[in-house]
Amino acid sequence: MKGNDPSLFGALLLSLLVRILLRTQTLFFSRAGLLTLLPGILLSALGGVLFARAWGRAQGRAASLLFAALLVFGAVVEILNLWQLYTAVYPDAVSLLGVCLTVLIPVVYLRRVSAIAQTANVVLGLLAAACALLVVSVAGRLRLVSLQTDVLDAAALQSALAAQCTLYPELLLPALWQDSAKRGRHTVLRLAAVGGVFNIGVHLLLELFFGAAMPQAIDPLHQAASRGNLSIFDRLEWLQLIVWTMAVSVKLGLYLYALTRLTGAKGADENSLHGLPGFAGGAAVLVFLCAAAQHWDLAAAARLQNLAAWAFAALTVLMGGIRWLAADRKKHG
Amino acid sequence: MSNQSLSRSLQENLSRLDGIFGASSDFYTKRIRLGSIPCAITLFTGISSPEKLWVMALDALQRSRVRVPDGPALLDYLLTESVIPAESTAITDMTDLVEKLSNGMSVLLIQGCAGALAVSTQEMPQRAVGQPNGEGDIRGSQEAFTELLRNNISLLRRQFRTDSLVAEVHTADSRAKTEYALCYDRSRVPPALIRTLRRQLAGVRIPVLLDSAYFASFLKKDKLNLFPAAAYTERPATACARLCEGKVVILVSGSPNAMVVPSFFSEHFESLDDYSSGAVFAGLIRILKYIAFLLSVFGPGLYVMAVSFAPETIPIELLAKLARAEAATPLPLMLEMLAITLLLEIVREAGLRAPKSIGHTVSLVGALIVGETAVSAGIVSTPVLTMAAAATVATLAVPSLYEQSILFRFVVILLAGVFGLPGLACGAVVILAMACGTEPFGYDYLYPLMPPGPAAWHDGVVRAIWSTLAGKGYAVDKHERE
Repeated sequence: MKGNDPSLFGALLLSLLVRILLRTQTLFFSRAGLLTLLPGILLSALGGVLFARAWGRAQGRAASLLFAALLVFGAVVEILNLWQLYTAVYPDAVSLLGVCLTVLIPVVYLRRVSAIAQTANVVLGLLAAACALLVVSVAGRLRLVSLQTDVLDAAALQSALAAQCTLYPELLLPALWQDSAKRGRHTVLRLAAVGGVFNIGVHLLLELFFGAAMPQAIDPLHQAASRGNLSIFDRLEWLQLIVWTMAVSVKLGLYLYALTRLTGAKGADENSLHGLPGFAGGAAVLVFLCAAAQHWDLAAAARLQNLAAWAFAALTVLMGGIRWLAADRKKHG
Repeated sequence: MSNQSLSRSLQENLSRLDGIFGASSDFYTKRIRLGSIPCAITLFTGISSPEKLWVMALDALQRSRVRVPDGPALLDYLLTESVIPAESTAITDMTDLVEKLSNGMSVLLIQGCAGALAVSTQEMPQRAVGQPNGEGDIRGSQEAFTELLRNNISLLRRQFRTDSLVAEVHTADSRAKTEYALCYDRSRVPPALIRTLRRQLAGVRIPVLLDSAYFASFLKKDKLNLFPAAAYTERPATACARLCEGKVVILVSGSPNAMVVPSFFSEHFESLDDYSSGAVFAGLIRILKYIAFLLSVFGPGLYVMAVSFAPETIPIELLAKLARAEAATPLPLMLEMLAITLLLEIVREAGLRAPKSIGHTVSLVGALIVGETAVSAGIVSTPVLTMAAAATVATLAVPSLYEQSILFRFVVILLAGVFGLPGLACGAVVILAMACGTEPFGYDYLYPLMPPGPAAWHDGVVRAIWSTLAGKGYAVDKHERE
């Protein structure tokens, strides 16, 4: 019961799952997704593992700043995704500032590792319950005949593989916590596997619900949730939205915590009140950036984010490799 | 005053005491002669008894016909040879002398001796051990702590009959020099916990210490966190149970509330009766309490959010009724809910603080007449009143989290009323993060609920049957021992 060294795996997983829930969920049909699942998981995990190995050597001021920029970009995209969803569901009722404030206010209490880890575990449990509720509430509308049986061509498989080869920032973050106590063992592989399977699960559910019309659906998961019913309750999408919003808050808490590590705060400061101004400052910057980026095409931004993550990982691996070779040569020469 | 050594001159010592306490009418001095040596008795009437002094000391001294040459020899004789049940060490300075007198002891000053003798003749005005007012339990001991520290320690020791119970008495760094006691089972308490606690409490500087709760803020790591850093109990039986778990009970002189540290979230949903009644029923009651807490915090906010922002969440028939009721009232829903919740709190506060004879009238007038007339006049709607009242009643199911429930309820109503759905989510995360971020002395506040494990089902969300529970023997340092 002693709260020393809580594991951040739950927070990383929650952060990854909410990314899947909020991004475009109609990128491939589930059959193509299933066929490319394993290579997708392995490629993403490989990217994360190589990055984690190289980060120790490649780490420097420039690399830290690049990583921080990547996280800030991811945070902004996530807030804007949530805002767009709210705008679609409750037009004129929710402003961007409102969404920013509501997801960033809790960050004040999410600046300790233990708070992030424990809160993430609880929200992860709520997310699992909400997903189960979603499946139960729409179970009557799922049709096996909706599964697409067209012949799979190379283009479909390629598109499914490309969609699954996403290097989420959550696969890079474990590199910041070298001690496995803070995240558990084989973190990257476990994250990639759970993320991949969850992604396929979401696509399968949507395919069973929408059938061939799935790619045209806007906010498909939310649409499906809104048509579910349980007993006298006809629309349960608000429950999903609340849990997703909670998950985004925890994700931002995790990102800001990582940002404070990247900008120099170390060990003992993590759990103290000293980190508060940094967190508040980071949150304020995010609000400003969200306001500046509110007209972005978020699908394009997500693609750009993925590209930037791969490029950053490749650069880090390259730098790490060069430094390792140089160090090895110095040792032997 | 007063960190001066006692003088060898009786007159000088009496003059100093006269300078300190001379204006107090309850300060009593009497010059006497023991053998041939001039002495003086000093005490405070009201907290010290001259009769006791006579029976315990003076009568015995008169009979024994003391024959000693001078003051120091007399003091030595009284400390080491006589049958008088005096304190084992002599008083040598004014600070100690004043403290002993204030504690209700009688002090014998002796001519020619730079020391004095204290005799325990306390006779404090005190109330009898009564029943607890704030912790309703049907079974188990019905005794409650009182205001006297020594009595409270003895109440604890009477129930905890082992040699491992330690009751350390310290004096707080306050103007009133209030005493407090750290009570713990030395065989179960983690040594680091007691060391940290001792150090933190010793460092507390406070003008006045009237209750153990005054310490709570000093023990909190995160001052922005609203969850309590400690639990409180009026019952020696509950304190005893916490001692068995390896926790520390802090008693403060003058307060009938014991503070228990470290304290966990799930403890607010436990009561002594849980362990006396059947496991299934106790489990059901605990689950009801958790639901009541959630209702008290989120109920009104959820209502405001649902009716104002997301009416689709409400079944259509119910929505029609709510819409009719809301259409007939002038205030926006959030303001209406805030006003009613505030009014209920004012009524509660007035009922609590008003003299008992009119307390019930205040509650009746507030709850029935104001509520009824406000609805009849169309100022507030019946559904809002119902929800606010339900939340207030639910709060009372978990009385130890009353303050938090009220504060969280207002925050959630405001967030849900201003931001709608994301506001409600924000409130939920803030409360959750506060609970998860509370680390009483480095322990997980949500234990045994989080991280999830078998302990949650043994004595957490529900309680296992005694035969299972007895074998588990949970203590705060269990993991450290393993």
